[in-house]
Amino acid sequence: MNAGMEFKLSHLQSMLLFALLISIAFGFLSRRRPIDRVKYIVWSLFLFLLIGVGIGWAMYPFSH
Amino acid sequence: MANETVVPAAVQQDSRRETIAFLIGVGGWLVPGLGHALLRMWGRAVMCFLTVGVLVILGAGMRGNVFSSSGNDAFDTLGFLADLGTGTFYLAARSLEANGADVSHAGGDYGTRFLATAGVLNLLAALHSYEAARGRKA
Repeated sequence: MNAGMEFKLSHLQSMLLFALLISIAFGFLSRRRPIDRVKYIVWSLFLFLLIGVGIGWAMYPFSH
Repeated sequence: MANETVVPAAVQQDSRRETIAFLIGVGGWLVPGLGHALLRMWGRAVMCFLTVGVLVILGAGMRGNVFSSSGNDAFDTLGFLADLGTGTFYLAARSLEANGADVSHAGGDYGTRFLATAGVLNLLAALHSYEAARGRKA
């Protein structure tokens, strides 16, 4: 990567990428059968996003 | 008499297996996915390499903090240990971050988390390969 190359991601994009990558890694490490992996990844991703957005909304009143 | 010859052989075999498992774990730490590749778990090997690699590239690209060994406090030391978990990718992260860290905005802060997560995730994968080599995990 050269000196000028930087990633500018929004909060939502960062959260989505983080949740997706971690879910995939967890799914592959903890499950063996492909169908089980897909189920685990989808469920893990859903929970990551639900909890992330939930905590975001829970903090919202304190930001005003 | 038969037991006296069988038991040492079994112990020796266990010891050898432990050594190989340890080396596989260390290999998995140094190069993400290598531990699983040595065990012919190709899917896990590729995904470990890719997820850890992408997290490191994103973290460095977002100008996250790559902690060094000369930390000022316990949090810096913990950050260094987490970053070091990426093995050789730690050196890659340092070289990728040509402009240095910038945690004055949210992107840099996210980058720091990405890098630390990559390290901890790789340690988890290395531990998994070690346990698999010992025959404790499938």
